[in-house]
Amino acid sequence: MSAGRSMKLGAFLMAGGHHIAAWRHPLAVADAGADIAHFIALAQIAEAAKFDMIFIEDAAAIRERNANIASQASRSTMFEPLSLLAALAVNTSHIGLVATASTTYNEPYGLARTLASIDNLSRGRAGWNLVTSASELEAENFVSSGLRPHAQRYERAEEFVGAAIATWDSVDAGAYVVDGGIYADPSGLHPVDHLGTHFTVHGLLDSPRSPQGRPVMVQAGASDAGKNLAARTADVVFTAAQTLQEAQEYYGDLKSRMPAFGRNPDDLKILPGVLPIVGRTESEARQKYAELQELIPDEVGVALLASYLSIKDLSQYPLDGPLPAMPQTDGIQSRQQLIIDLGRRENLSIRQLARHFAGSRGHWQIIGTPTQIADELEERFRAKAADGFNIMGAYFPAGLEDFISLVIPELCRRGLFRKNYEGRTLRENLGIKIPAHGA
Amino acid sequence: MHLGMSITPFGHHPAAWRTGRSVEAIGFNRLAAQVAKAQAGNLAFVLLADRFGQRPLHDLSPEAVPFEPTTLAAALATASRQIGIIASAATSQHEPYNIARRFASLDAISAGRSGWNLVVSAEALARDKEYVEVVSGLWDSWEEDAFICDKAAGRFFVPHKMHVLDHRGEHFTVRGPLNVNRSPQGKPVIAHKLTLPTFEIAAQYAEVIFIDAPSPEKANGLVAAFARRLHHYGRDRSDVKILADVVIYPGATSAGAQELRDSLDAMAGHVQWSNALQLVGDTREIADRMQQWTQAGIVDGFTILPCLVPESVHALVDHIVPELDRRGLLQRSDEGFTLRDHLGLRKPQHPASQVVA
Repeated sequence: MSAGRSMKLGAFLMAGGHHIAAWRHPLAVADAGADIAHFIALAQIAEAAKFDMIFIEDAAAIRERNANIASQASRSTMFEPLSLLAALAVNTSHIGLVATASTTYNEPYGLARTLASIDNLSRGRAGWNLVTSASELEAENFVSSGLRPHAQRYERAEEFVGAAIATWDSVDAGAYVVDGGIYADPSGLHPVDHLGTHFTVHGLLDSPRSPQGRPVMVQAGASDAGKNLAARTADVVFTAAQTLQEAQEYYGDLKSRMPAFGRNPDDLKILPGVLPIVGRTESEARQKYAELQELIPDEVGVALLASYLSIKDLSQYPLDGPLPAMPQTDGIQSRQQLIIDLGRRENLSIRQLARHFAGSRGHWQIIGTPTQIADELEERFRAKAADGFNIMGAYFPAGLEDFISLVIPELCRRGLFRKNYEGRTLRENLGIKIPAHGA
Repeated sequence: MHLGMSITPFGHHPAAWRTGRSVEAIGFNRLAAQVAKAQAGNLAFVLLADRFGQRPLHDLSPEAVPFEPTTLAAALATASRQIGIIASAATSQHEPYNIARRFASLDAISAGRSGWNLVVSAEALARDKEYVEVVSGLWDSWEEDAFICDKAAGRFFVPHKMHVLDHRGEHFTVRGPLNVNRSPQGKPVIAHKLTLPTFEIAAQYAEVIFIDAPSPEKANGLVAAFARRLHHYGRDRSDVKILADVVIYPGATSAGAQELRDSLDAMAGHVQWSNALQLVGDTREIADRMQQWTQAGIVDGFTILPCLVPESVHALVDHIVPELDRRGLLQRSDEGFTLRDHLGLRKPQHPASQVVA
């Protein structure tokens, strides 16, 4: 590779595809959310193309309260991510496996142990996308009544991460010996003794230390508290940024926070999500996009937009008018601002914004030829706006296959992406150090 | 007679790991090889036990699987195609919504071969009873034919075939619905290790009952008492499968088997480490004892706890299973696809479809 620095690519998988109407596309596997063979095939396709990782998002609830609206989209049901990753772990050999799990609705020891289990099943390829869970539908599925305030969720997340790391670090490499009458070397075992505000953990990991030390930590938070948590603890950050300028500002801000936590900015990889619609010609790409947009019911698009804005109902406002004035809520504040900004900047109506966001769900989308797409990715990669990208196939498997067969060869030609995996663990392939024990 | 096998890295005997084993045994491949062997023997299921919270920190004796059981189950599901996989999970360690998802997902990954070994807290049984009701209710969130995936009409599911649980109880408030499809086998099988404090919860909800009993008399008393509690809850003895845990020490000869046991006990420094039935002998002797137990109508089968892995697993599948089969004692598990098929357990119908029928 020419430059030494190469893009890190994630394949962001989602049952039918990232476009909200993807499941209706003739090439999409409609019932993919319950088809394990489909997911194994996707992971293997991404691995053959040398993606760094696959990425699975999650919410511990259905995503739309209104049954009529929900029933017009394919996103209500899906495999539970940690069991899905475990199944994928033993059907792949090099690709990283990142699943989303909530610090609000899990306990640190149990989740750390489950992730360690996946890390060992995959021989060091697991990652954890930490979320603090902002949706009311999730809150209603757990004892805790009501959504916890943003600050309180992050306070819990901070403590959660500390307890999880202590759990992963409770076993040294090689502590399990099983030889000469010794089962485990006591000097390699460091029981967790955590007594905090939110958790009490006394325990020891009952499995060997992961080949990559501990799972790769992924985050997406973009609030001030979220950025600080990421600057202190994340190995990979997944973001939504529409424009080059937004992406650069985010990138610069987050990396500049790292030295204060004693970290080198290169040890954190920032991967904006991008939904590429690839055509051999630009008009073919535009036509593919138009086909998908045609399949979106307005009800679904507007409901999705309302959920990103964390407001209950948008349908009372004129579809062809602008967004109403919005109060700050306890939901995902960063994405809310991004939508409001885009609406103002481009003077978009509710219907136009809904269509726009239903497609990419708030992420950057590029419609064009392999050269055009590679140009845009390269620009952001070189302009300190991204260390790589989380690729969101519009529909599966064809949307991912198009990117692999048309765009990746172009990235490789430019020396921007690997031809072979550098190592066997996710940390090795990302070029991120195994964390110092107890750090 | 139904047979299952409990998976451990070295064997169930506490001294098994001392017999010249290596750390390789705690890796996935060796465990998967045991499951493949059990599947080749047409066993109904493998059990992935968990020592979570059951042992003091300084005791690292390797009796349980060295992975978190539900994630190991998912991995094993893709590495097998017929055998059932029952994973342990404790109500104290997961929120009910999360456990309902995990097992519904496992059932989809395994195409209907999953079971939940319900581990409860003796001191919180009222909470646990509500917990199981919530999980079971969440498993009824979707009717079997809810997902029509009608691309042309733009209708992914039939709205009235989604059911919002809206549970508001003393210990849990859970709206639902579950965000995983209905299980291929209706609901994952619920298994439970019977103890005196957990009689009531087992009698209400469990479908596979594991018992520890060193003698037929002890087993008889336990099963009779349990059957009375089943009737109390409107269930029948035939609605559950009661399986006795049995540690096997198989040998080519009786003397060889006894020698194996003696040497293991000597290495462990103690002999009394389990209340389960212990069978020491050659193939014929072990088969005879199993036959006596099932023909007396005490139990429906056994969960085999091999004393040493892989030797006892091989003896089980290569010798004991064929011997039981020759005697016509085994229920064939190679004809069905789901764990319920293998065990002869009824597939639960969705409450809404029962009303229509």
